[in-house]
Amino acid sequence: MSPPPPPPILEGPTVTDGALALPRPPLTPEDAARSRDRFRVHTARRHRRRWYLLWLLVGPGLLTMLGENDGPSMISYATSGAAYGLGFFLPFILVTFAMAVIVQEMVMRVGAVTHRGYGQLVLERFGSVWGWFSAGDLIVTNLVTLIAEFVAIRVGLSYFHIGAGIAALLGVVLVAFTLSGGRYWRWERIVLGLAIFNGLFLVAAIMVKPHWSAVGHSLATFSPFPAGSFNTLLLLIASTIGATVTPWMIFFQQSASADKGLTPSDVRHGRYDTITGGLLAALFGCGALIVGAALAGHGGSGVVGLAGAGFPRALAHVSGNAVATVFALGLIEAGAVALLTISASTGYAVGECIGVPHSFNNSARKAAVFYAANIGAALIAAAIILIPGAPLLSIALNANVLATVLLPVALVFMIMLANDRELMGRWANNAVNNWVAIAIVAFISVCGGAYAIDSFLQAVHLV
Amino acid sequence: MTQHDQDLVEFLERDQLVADRSRPLPRAPLSGRANAALWGLRVFTVMLSVMVLYTFVSQLGH
Repeated sequence: MSPPPPPPILEGPTVTDGALALPRPPLTPEDAARSRDRFRVHTARRHRRRWYLLWLLVGPGLLTMLGENDGPSMISYATSGAAYGLGFFLPFILVTFAMAVIVQEMVMRVGAVTHRGYGQLVLERFGSVWGWFSAGDLIVTNLVTLIAEFVAIRVGLSYFHIGAGIAALLGVVLVAFTLSGGRYWRWERIVLGLAIFNGLFLVAAIMVKPHWSAVGHSLATFSPFPAGSFNTLLLLIASTIGATVTPWMIFFQQSASADKGLTPSDVRHGRYDTITGGLLAALFGCGALIVGAALAGHGGSGVVGLAGAGFPRALAHVSGNAVATVFALGLIEAGAVALLTISASTGYAVGECIGVPHSFNNSARKAAVFYAANIGAALIAAAIILIPGAPLLSIALNANVLATVLLPVALVFMIMLANDRELMGRWANNAVNNWVAIAIVAFISVCGGAYAIDSFLQAVHLV
Repeated sequence: MTQHDQDLVEFLERDQLVADRSRPLPRAPLSGRANAALWGLRVFTVMLSVMVLYTFVSQLGH
């Protein structure tokens, strides 16, 4: 098939202004793979095949949002529901996903316009100290979160009497399987196929037959407001934020947008992708909370979700085996998808900061560091969950809080990049973007900071 | 790489090519005040991280 004439040069980045007349640099297999995807996008756009175009361009936003509905997040939502029932936290999930959509839209826009990942841009624009600090933050939180993902997979599988060793093995094999193929498109579609099953939490929520009037009242009024200790409330707020907006999402969506080959002409579809992902993730997250709320009044506040198969077993007693089975399968899915996206964000960050090839469109041989970091992160996390007596419960509960504490730095650099007119040209943030983004950073900083300080003061017995 | 691949590469924007993406961008000019604010943010975050880690370790003892 001979390709149609090339598309007109699009308005967009100013990075290479004036360079278009120069001869093309040497092409790589990565360029060839990406150009095949762009050819399909161009053809769909030329023939006005709108749904097909949307199908081609969605991916990074959906994966980021559904990936963030990970094992610890779903357990965190269900814990909130079990402890407090329907109430403040149900609409709060919607608020946090609205914040996530605003942040991730900026991330997608920067990726599509600059064609570079977040780690690379921070390193180049703000220097190696900031670049490596950001990557260091990410690697620490990713490792902790990956451990929590394996715990979630283990909790889900243990309901079916499958042990930790199999959980670790399955997780690592899944990462290795998706890495084979040397194409971003293939990797993205496999993970998207898995991510659909995040909807199991909504299925489980419908199966527990909640009082829909109570759900509506909670969404409309943010009430009843949770009672209990100030510290517990802060923990739940911080972990709910940490369950929705995290550093890996910033690294992942920007790098994936660049790796997919999005351009400024795709920003509108990138927004659809991100908003749809946010809506679905909020819906499924609310589902997890509603399922957890079924345990409120049945000793739900005492369920220790990660010790053994706490949640699924407790659900089996209260709502029946079918609900417990669906919830356990949901936990396995949530852990598995996040395992893939978080491992990928680790690979992108390491590759970008070292300055070596970092694309799924490369073979493992060509991008050895990228692939090694990707699977290495999963291997380390898998090994840790197999250590007898490892404090998995504590790790999982603190993973989201640590992500919240480390998030403001990533967000500040994101806002600076989105305002960088040398890079972004007319795609830079406007004043409304900036005010909303700054309010989000302030809110997250205050919540994370308040929890960290209050917990610390309690730990040293000062309060 | 085949001729077909060479032709399809026309569908990439120039700065999407690996060779262009690998070309480092210049440092962003930051005022002294912006630098100081960034360092302040970093110190704040490191302090909070230490607090979370201390709390985490102290929880292990219980």
